Amino acid sequence: MNVIEARGLGKRYRRSWALRDASLAIPAGHVVALVGPNGAGKTTLLHMSVGLTTPTAGQVTVLDSEPAGSPAALDQIAFVAQDAPLYKNLSVTDMLHLTRNLNRRWDQQRAETRLTELNIPLDRKVGKLSGGQQAQLALTLALARQPRLLVLDEPLASLDPLARHDFMASVMAAVAEDDLSVVLSSHVIADLERVADYLIVLSHGQVQVAGEVEELLAEHSVLTGPAAAADDIAERMAVVYARRAGTVAHLLVRTGGAAEPAPSGWEAHPVGLEELVLAYLREPGAAALPGPRPRVTQDSGIPA
Amino acid sequence: MTAVAAPAARATQPRPVPWTRLVWVTWRQHRAALVGVAALLGGLAVYLLIMGLKIHSAYRAAASCHPLGSAICDVTTRPFASYYHTAQQMSLYLQVIPVVVGVFVGAPLLARELETGTFRFAWTQGCGRLRWAVDKLALLAIAVTVAAGAFSLLFSWYYQPFFAEHLDGVLAPQLFDLRGVDFAAWTLAAFAIGAVAGVLIKRTVPAIAASLAIWTGLDFATTLFLRRHYQAPLLTKGAPSYSHPPWVVGNWYTGPNGAVVSQQTIRQVVAHAPESVQHSLNPNAATAYLTAHHYTQWTIYHPESRFWHFQLIEGGWLVTLSLILLAATVWLVRRRAA
Repeated sequence: MNVIEARGLGKRYRRSWALRDASLAIPAGHVVALVGPNGAGKTTLLHMSVGLTTPTAGQVTVLDSEPAGSPAALDQIAFVAQDAPLYKNLSVTDMLHLTRNLNRRWDQQRAETRLTELNIPLDRKVGKLSGGQQAQLALTLALARQPRLLVLDEPLASLDPLARHDFMASVMAAVAEDDLSVVLSSHVIADLERVADYLIVLSHGQVQVAGEVEELLAEHSVLTGPAAAADDIAERMAVVYARRAGTVAHLLVRTGGAAEPAPSGWEAHPVGLEELVLAYLREPGAAALPGPRPRVTQDSGIPA
Repeated sequence: MTAVAAPAARATQPRPVPWTRLVWVTWRQHRAALVGVAALLGGLAVYLLIMGLKIHSAYRAAASCHPLGSAICDVTTRPFASYYHTAQQMSLYLQVIPVVVGVFVGAPLLARELETGTFRFAWTQGCGRLRWAVDKLALLAIAVTVAAGAFSLLFSWYYQPFFAEHLDGVLAPQLFDLRGVDFAAWTLAAFAIGAVAGVLIKRTVPAIAASLAIWTGLDFATTLFLRRHYQAPLLTKGAPSYSHPPWVVGNWYTGPNGAVVSQQTIRQVVAHAPESVQHSLNPNAATAYLTAHHYTQWTIYHPESRFWHFQLIEGGWLVTLSLILLAATVWLVRRRAA
């Protein structure tokens, strides 16, 4: 099952496309990092997935091929928007009660236990909580809905490093506890490196990379060797990005997973997630879309 | 999942969240505004109740005094006359109640969610934004309309003695929209204007300001221009009987040859009247003089008996307008992209 499936998805705001012709299939059971620079279309993609925005072109379905934003879809997806908007004038208790009344399924016990563990006082006004506590409250409300898919839009953007760490620990605990898929966007890759096992790189409104982190890391390596011979390598291998420092060149190559020995005169290193993402973002023309294709297009032969 | 299994999955759509759950949500989120409305209307209601009791007792005292015109009766009717003055003032202040109640509840309903970004929270909950919007709008619309309706019943009772004494006609513009179904209908219209302005303007204070302006414009236009055309007015020679004060919407004079003459001509004719007529304390003296000189006064008016007819016409179009605006609000919520 794919938690989010997009086909030819596009969104145009006035004259510019925030997202254009995006096709992707995010399989269930992952913590998916959606990364890309500001303005890459991350929020647009997530908003369309939860039904807040209607696509200009294409379509997006979630979970069991439910149309995004349909009652059946909303019932099973919990979304925490950027900056975790909550009713600041309500107390935490009222916020819990309000959310319970807006949903069919609700685990009050779990929500209260979580908040107690986090030392978030139930009688305090939401607006009086710290930024980290508000983010945790938003996450608690989302998890108490017992969703199958949790969508977080830039959950870490406004948090300090400690709060970031605590927040991601909470997300990971929830994933360990339940059969929960998570999609979260961020423009800070370092925060996601430890937690995400599936990566989507979005750049200029297009999906550039999509796949399991382990596979992506295994399929790529950095070759270091003489700059003069770099073009030679490029003819034989898929070079994503080349960086020349004097006479030495560093090439990020896509090996296709096979443990090929490095060409003579070159040294191969494994690549880190951040390095991989940055390399792709620097080369908008390069693409790595090795993950599962959307089901309907499986036979139509869209080139990977 | 295969294509065959898909329709089966669709058949098990989740049961919607029951609307009663939205009652608590609506109450909790609009508690401050609703309490404010209750305090405003409640305070005024207590005032109307106390003053109403005094007016009714003063009226009974004045009405039962015998013989009328005696010195003792002049003293007895004096409190009633002074209450009349106060009640007229009150009826002017109460003109703003529908717009205050309607706009301050209606405009922030969506504007605040859009302004603070909380719509991203509210519209992604399990109940869905359509349900959320319809339930909230309906509950609050009913709340303000019922409150306004109850309040206008109290006002009708409060003002009744002055109608009984024919001091005012029931069609008088400053009283017509405080009674019957009109007061509640104008309140509902203010709420609906506020709601649609909120979703269009997306900011609370500008939405309130815009709806205040739109409602006030609509109210003035209705009172000054529209209401008199609900039915063709009646034409009568001379001044209409004031035993049941009608709503006079125009009058003019015709001269000896039957043509309409200007007010200026009439003033000139009266200026040539003898001293006894010009300085007479009886206002009918001038009319009698004009009649004797073949000048005829014509009056067009709506009789008091048209009150409910006019109430239903105005209430009808206001409710229709409100429902259209509320439907537009729901439609805008539904198609609005974040």
